[in-house]
Amino acid sequence: MTGATQRGTALRLHRGLSRIWASDPRLRGWLTTSNNNDVGILFLIVATTFFVIGGILAMLIRAQLATPQSAFMEPQVYNQIFTMHGTVMMFLFAIPFFEAMSMLMLPGMLGTRDLAFPRLGAYGLWVYIFGGSAVIIAMLMGLAPDGGWFMYPPLSSAAFSPGIGADVWLLGITSIEVSAIATAIEVIVTVLRYRAAGMSLSRMPIFAWYILIVSVMILTAFPPMILGSLMLEVERAFDWPFFQVENGGDPLLWQHLFWLFGHPEVYIIFLPAAGMIATILPVMARTTLLGYGWVVAAAVSLAVLSFGLWVHHMFTTGIPHMGLAFFSAASTLVAVPTAVMIFSWIGTLWKGRPRMDLPMLWIMGFFATFVIGGLTGVMLAVVPFNWQVHDTHFVVAHLHYVLIGGYVFPMVAAIYYFMPLLTGRTRFFKLGEVAFWLVVPAFHVTFLAVHVAGLLGQRRRTSTYDPGQGWEVLNLVASVASFVMAIGFALIILDVAVNAFVAVRGRRNPWGAATLEWAAANPSPAYGFASIPIVSGRYPLHDDPDLAVRIARGEGYLGDASRNRRETLIVTTAQGEPSLVVVLPGNSVVPFLLAVVTSTSFLAPLFGAYLLSGLALIGVVILALIWAWGLGSRTDEGLVDAGHGAMLPLASETPDPPGWWGSLFLLLADSVHFGSLLFGYAFLWTVAPNWPPQSYLQPDFWGVSLAVGGAAALVAGPRLAVGAIRRGRAAWPGIPLGLVGACAIAAAAATIPLARAEPAGHAYDATLWLLAGHVGLHAGLTAIMLIYFAARVARGYASPARIGEARIAGLWADFTAATGLVALGAAWLPGAFA
Amino acid sequence: MAATLQVTSGCEERLSILHPAGPAAQTIAQVWWIMLVGAVVIFVFVMALLVAAWTRPATLNPGDDGRRARVWMWGLGLGFPMVTLAALTGYGLFMGERLLPRDGPDLVTVSAEARQWAWAFRYADAPGRVTEGELHIPADRPVNVRITSVDVIHSFWVPRLAGKLDAVPGHVNVLRIEAARAGTYDGQSAEFSGAGYRGHVFTLIAHDAAGWAAFLRDGAP
Amino acid sequence: MIEILRLSGPMTIWVTVFSAVYALQGFTCSRHWPEDLWARPVLLAAWGVGLALQVIALMAVRRAPSRSALVQKVAMGIAVVALVAGIWTLMPVATTSVCL
Repeated sequence: MTGATQRGTALRLHRGLSRIWASDPRLRGWLTTSNNNDVGILFLIVATTFFVIGGILAMLIRAQLATPQSAFMEPQVYNQIFTMHGTVMMFLFAIPFFEAMSMLMLPGMLGTRDLAFPRLGAYGLWVYIFGGSAVIIAMLMGLAPDGGWFMYPPLSSAAFSPGIGADVWLLGITSIEVSAIATAIEVIVTVLRYRAAGMSLSRMPIFAWYILIVSVMILTAFPPMILGSLMLEVERAFDWPFFQVENGGDPLLWQHLFWLFGHPEVYIIFLPAAGMIATILPVMARTTLLGYGWVVAAAVSLAVLSFGLWVHHMFTTGIPHMGLAFFSAASTLVAVPTAVMIFSWIGTLWKGRPRMDLPMLWIMGFFATFVIGGLTGVMLAVVPFNWQVHDTHFVVAHLHYVLIGGYVFPMVAAIYYFMPLLTGRTRFFKLGEVAFWLVVPAFHVTFLAVHVAGLLGQRRRTSTYDPGQGWEVLNLVASVASFVMAIGFALIILDVAVNAFVAVRGRRNPWGAATLEWAAANPSPAYGFASIPIVSGRYPLHDDPDLAVRIARGEGYLGDASRNRRETLIVTTAQGEPSLVVVLPGNSVVPFLLAVVTSTSFLAPLFGAYLLSGLALIGVVILALIWAWGLGSRTDEGLVDAGHGAMLPLASETPDPPGWWGSLFLLLADSVHFGSLLFGYAFLWTVAPNWPPQSYLQPDFWGVSLAVGGAAALVAGPRLAVGAIRRGRAAWPGIPLGLVGACAIAAAAATIPLARAEPAGHAYDATLWLLAGHVGLHAGLTAIMLIYFAARVARGYASPARIGEARIAGLWADFTAATGLVALGAAWLPGAFA
Repeated sequence: MAATLQVTSGCEERLSILHPAGPAAQTIAQVWWIMLVGAVVIFVFVMALLVAAWTRPATLNPGDDGRRARVWMWGLGLGFPMVTLAALTGYGLFMGERLLPRDGPDLVTVSAEARQWAWAFRYADAPGRVTEGELHIPADRPVNVRITSVDVIHSFWVPRLAGKLDAVPGHVNVLRIEAARAGTYDGQSAEFSGAGYRGHVFTLIAHDAAGWAAFLRDGAP
Repeated sequence: MIEILRLSGPMTIWVTVFSAVYALQGFTCSRHWPEDLWARPVLLAAWGVGLALQVIALMAVRRAPSRSALVQKVAMGIAVVALVAGIWTLMPVATTSVCL
């Protein structure tokens, strides 16, 4: 082939794929697109907007604290401002921002064309936008929550926080958590299955490891918080006394559930930033990461250890010293994997020939800041010291060192590092360096002063303070420096925006990186890669400098637009061998509509519109079914040509399609949610005053029989159906059996509210209702799935090859049966033994 | 940081944990100074390694990744923090054990009941006596404070005497405090409790033996 | 999937054992078990069982190695970390007062 024909091939392929993958060019295209580039950039812009809002709130706080006896804000206003500052920064900025970065970068790094569930990504985006906007609008109307971002009851209960502020927080934040879980599932399945050919686990870019770990953490950390929010919201709305001492509740239960989420959350925020550093720093040092395996092991260890730290936020709640000691020890131990990462990075600098470009400058800012935050963190792990500085400005300073130093600085580095890829342009103006020298020194002045104020006894969250404590100079210095820092951040945003629009077109791979995202054209086209790359090492662009050209010419897998649909490759989890061809869905408005009804069902209760909320919930089910109905196929296509002589089955014609994997991980989150509910039940039983309740629920013969029989039918029914379809027989005997099982177990659960009619009487009864509700909800979901599946079978969507949907319904049935038996057993056992 | 402290040393530090006036606060202040010295040393060391990465001669740190891993991962990543942290954890727990409210001779028991936004104090040695916003204790004797709340969560904290402990509705938490000398000390709630949080403060008056006897007898300090 | 279990199993056992011993400690205190007669021996026994589980996990990772050398190395590292974490974080069972 001559050079000209080769260029012709590449161009033809580009045109073909562009047509297939293009989003609707009209304005409404933004509502229907599910392409990771579009969704990611929207995510990024919205998250940055929330960062600006959170930053303005921070400036209001510092303005208020600049002088003693400040009359700038009333306590009522100030309390809303600091609550919203924490809430916006933690929930509306930090998590969505790294989700946005991973949506944009991950497919490129892995060598695939899009994320596993593009429509789920779009849905997550819109739920986030609606939930976040509701919280902000409430604040502008003066209806913001004012109980602090961790919302401790009883202060946040109806008695002490009337009005809808706390409800805005609970419902708004829960909807954003739903969005985060959706994104996490998408990321996990993508990292595990959607990679370049030959990209085994050990050849994955380090960021993929980090984001995989973080996503699993989201699935296991958010459910306790969702449960806590559900409990508090139900207590506020219907007076179910989960946190009211006089009726068998305990406010400490909230603290456990909140920090079971809240501590891992800190690492959920830090680890993606660490992943960015581990990605950027070796490139800037012109070498490879020192101790790749060490870093993976450290990240996994850190992730799990972070689930054993939650009580260190509760050292002053009166827990016995041995309990504190466990968490003190775990909190110091968590510094070890962090140290492994830090020294891996410094060792990488020693190994290479580092150069001081702007991303590297920000990483140096990270080191100078995060190390101090880590050291004060270890101090806070020491119990006696914690007793003194807990809830003072020392803690405020520590957490800003960790979060700004450990998250914001690396993310600024990441933005500058990936800018050529995002915008196709390289930096022209040098505002970024000026901004750095404003932000980092000002940051240290601000928060070193805040540390000292805390040591001198200044509490966090007081609206102002009296002179004469030695705090005035410190606070004034902190405030002035914080405004300098804010100017610096404004410059960064300005710099990025200006460069994105007017800077010069850059060449491909300006940093000389070795990972696949730099092999795509920049800015990345909608289809990502013209063909799926074939890799044989961890640093493919170093192994083969011409890889980009060969990908563009279609010399990888699936370098062919002729089937006229959005195809990408699925590989085996461990070895990365080509395994399946998956067809991704096209543009659709359904995710947007589903987000509208989901958000309506979440936000309507704010105005007491429970009927509307219920109707919206029905809308959620209907739209979800419409969404699912549009996928799949009514004919078997058999093996398709993936290129390089590989004939691969379609993902829809395997027993474990991506949807099955997604369900598996969603059920992991669901299990943690259920486990948290059991934990709450046991916690109240052992710790809460005013226990045991006056009487117990007595199991009856019919209830137990229904539960056991129902669970058996739920397990057997879908299995029979799957087996029958596999053998080409009729599926119908299994499906009704499963349905009967779902109804039976739901009926068994219904005996609980019938027997205990007063959920508001005692926390015991309220918990029983939640257990019954868990069973009822899952039985209902399983029933809907089975009916839906029956309709799919009737319309010819199932065959011995297309068995995946049946197995998804089976997963849910199994989960319902297992957790149903445990839930009902937990409800009945005390009565049986009493 | 030393310079910053200099700036403020002329002021009155009625709430400073760096100016302890009792054994518990004294112990914790000692823990703090030791940790501060350790933290500064570690920070300077890490920064020195970082600076050296840019300025070192190329001959330093030669070899393959396996040899580098021995220094950076085994030595600095694992060995160094594990030794330091094991020592610190042990020290912290040992100190923590010393601050617990164990039984002992000479022990005085008082109770503190928090509400939005006031404190009521009661005395085991003077049943029926209630003081509002003013806690009386004898100086130079260990005092157990039994802390609870009747509404939301608060926290009992006299920074110059001891750490803080939360007042949780439905629970009674016991905090050991002791004032080395007679005098007046400032206390404040340290758990956010709504609009009146800033003003949720109290005064602790430590009496000498004669003053304490007088207080128990007729309530007049 | 088996690779994911290999990498996550040992630490998951640690977090489960850790939480269980913490729960047990809370339980002994809420039931006012006498410290040296009941509470501490029971807690020490639970700690021992937990460590045994982690040793078993470590052996399992060792006995059934991954096809990937890197995954195997990392999994072994994590299993050792889990064992160290089990010793380190539950050490207070032997050293601090139970319910004060």
